[in-house]
Amino acid sequence: MSPSTPDALDRLGAELSERTSPIVVKEVRQGLRTRVFWIFFSLMLIACLIVALVAFAAKVGDAGQGAFIATFLVLSVVQFFVIPFSAYRSMARERDEETWVLLTLTGLGPRRVIRGKIASFVLQGVLYASAAAPFMLFSYYLNGVGLPVILVSLVFAAGYQVFLVSISVSLSTVAQGKLMRSLMQFVVLAMLLQALGLGMAGGPALGEAFRNGGVKTELYFGLGCALFAMLSTSVLLFEAAAAGLSLVTENYTRGPRLAFIVQAFGAAALVVIGSQAFDANEALAVAAVLFGVYAMLVGLYVGSDRDGLAKNLEGIRGSLLSPGAYRAYLLVIITTLLVGCGLYTVALTTDIAAKKAQLIGAMPAFAVLYLSLPHIIARWLPHGPSQTPAMVRIVGLGLLLLGSGVPPLIGALVATPDDPWLNLFNPVIGLVNIAKSDEPSGGAFIVWVAALGSAAVATLMLKRRDA
Amino acid sequence: MSLLEVKNVSRFFGSLRAVDDVSFSLEAGKILGFIGPNGAGKSTTMRIIATLDVPSMGEVRLDGTSVVDRPDQARPLIGYMPDRYGTYDDMTVFEFLDFFARAYRLKGLERKKRVDSVMDFTGVLPLRDKLTSELSKGMRQRVALGRTLLHDPKLLLLDEPADGLDPRARIELRELLKALAAQGKAVLISSHILTELSEICDTCAIIEQGRLLATGAVHEVLSGASGAAPHLDVELKLLDSAELAMRWAERVLLEQPLVKQASSGGLGVLHVRLELPPTTPLTPGWGDAACAALIKVLVDQKVPLCSLSPRQLDLEDAFMSVTKGRVQ
Repeated sequence: MSPSTPDALDRLGAELSERTSPIVVKEVRQGLRTRVFWIFFSLMLIACLIVALVAFAAKVGDAGQGAFIATFLVLSVVQFFVIPFSAYRSMARERDEETWVLLTLTGLGPRRVIRGKIASFVLQGVLYASAAAPFMLFSYYLNGVGLPVILVSLVFAAGYQVFLVSISVSLSTVAQGKLMRSLMQFVVLAMLLQALGLGMAGGPALGEAFRNGGVKTELYFGLGCALFAMLSTSVLLFEAAAAGLSLVTENYTRGPRLAFIVQAFGAAALVVIGSQAFDANEALAVAAVLFGVYAMLVGLYVGSDRDGLAKNLEGIRGSLLSPGAYRAYLLVIITTLLVGCGLYTVALTTDIAAKKAQLIGAMPAFAVLYLSLPHIIARWLPHGPSQTPAMVRIVGLGLLLLGSGVPPLIGALVATPDDPWLNLFNPVIGLVNIAKSDEPSGGAFIVWVAALGSAAVATLMLKRRDA
Repeated sequence: MSLLEVKNVSRFFGSLRAVDDVSFSLEAGKILGFIGPNGAGKSTTMRIIATLDVPSMGEVRLDGTSVVDRPDQARPLIGYMPDRYGTYDDMTVFEFLDFFARAYRLKGLERKKRVDSVMDFTGVLPLRDKLTSELSKGMRQRVALGRTLLHDPKLLLLDEPADGLDPRARIELRELLKALAAQGKAVLISSHILTELSEICDTCAIIEQGRLLATGAVHEVLSGASGAAPHLDVELKLLDSAELAMRWAERVLLEQPLVKQASSGGLGVLHVRLELPPTTPLTPGWGDAACAALIKVLVDQKVPLCSLSPRQLDLEDAFMSVTKGRVQ
């Protein structure tokens, strides 16, 4: 090694530090100083070492598989629980101690701060994974597990970790006030425990799938779709969190709306490609139902905003990505109609059963109806201008619950709980009833008329308020 | 031209008018004391100026830039210290300041120089490697002040900076603020400790229930606070407490044009009120000039004067007189 090498390394380190986000530098500095990090890091290394020694001593032909699964489980605890929870605590602390406003004032802005937070905790995850990597490699040398399984598991685990960290950080920004954040902490704990269980089960299940089925294109495609779902949801959550922390004078809606469009169209494209490539036309019906639920919930969130926009943003009034309830609503409705009708068109070109095609065709109507009514009703209810988005979301969820729960209850009183006319607008039973019919029924037509009518009323109402 | 202009700013939270039609301005190199009881709207106004909130109505301009429409352009001009200092307990003083300097996009050597200079100015250089959690409240507050200075802002917004500090730390803070104003920075400071403000502020604004009750130069607010004409109360002590000497002094005093009242307080003490005629323009230091003139006359008239102590209205008097202790 030449004498100048240490200097060069120092310079490289300094250069790297200059180019890295200040939030990442800060979080890594703070993270490495915490007891939590060192305790879990040490415990993980000790556990991995014990697993490797036991597997080596066992001298069974396929000891590698057991060693890999055990190492994966140990790593899961840190990656799917400790790190996401630390991310939640870190962001919640910024809000509790009001250092958040100081970060905002530096000009970093909510997006860069949240991105830095997520990146720094993912980096911590990489640090843990690098420490566990030699043990995973060792399990490969013990036989019983292939390199593709190890690589796919690690990539999937990384995607899952990004997803969980994004959810945790986003949830910390949702709760207002210390008390709410303390309560939210329990929600996050419960969610992460459940996610840990899923993650721990996912690794071995993946290994098993590879062992039994060999390396199939369908499996890779399915994993790719799941990865897309997790990463695009992470981006959507990140953008929603950043928007929630922005001022009304900033163009805060561009990010979440773009993420919504990308996720909706991306998912639809993957479904269409998958169904065509693997001759799985039935998947179109499942995808249509899932998309309907997605549109009614995520679309309701993305599509609700305050009326009008700040005067300094007048220049971008024409873009559907700009703030304002009118533009938010239009964007979500157009996306829902395009994706829904796109899936229906693709379904018609296949040999899918007529019942399922009807279901695919009716789903967007239900979504449009349950996205439009909350806007109309919420604006009749008394509330302050800043509470409009929350009011729309509450009304939307309430309508979904009432729409799916009340008609069967009334039906039960008259001994016909699934009466097709009583449940015509029921997003669950109504849809099932439409799908049950072998012939094109008038029910779907009526739902479409109601959906388009309510969409027209909502559009006019929101346009008038936007002016 | 004023560096900061707050024009008819209002902020409503539902039916609550947290800030109601507030207007004031602040020039570079001046210190403005923002005074009001808890819940008066001080912090909300400061948050609006700091681009952390948006007014329901009105406009705030900083160095010609609208902080409402262009918060990104206004932020580099603002150094904001909230009522909670906002330090990270698990970072050293240097790491804390270095992090914020990075966040303000200061690079390499420039950042190092700036952090060192700020630590030197605020007197925390010897504590650079100490965790902020190990510092006293006064020292933490200095670190927090240092953070606001890293990007060399034109306007400092300090929300209750002296709250909870011991007397020494308060005096040191006062000196730091005076030094900053001397460097040309405009300082908007809110505090409950009014005596602190009266000693360092050039102008003040008194706010209650979201409404601005009085604003202007400190001497203007003080003189207008009681609703009476600008006046100055003076206590005279004579070497001779005999009745004859007292009467002679009273007579001489009452012949002077600015003397409105002169009455004996016993034991050689006379209470005198000087009052400016309504037509006379109010100028800073008019009280000192009036006292000097009074001493000259008394000495000329051979009144055995021992001492003369003026008692000017302070901010506390003004505050108590203007506000009514209403909260919302």
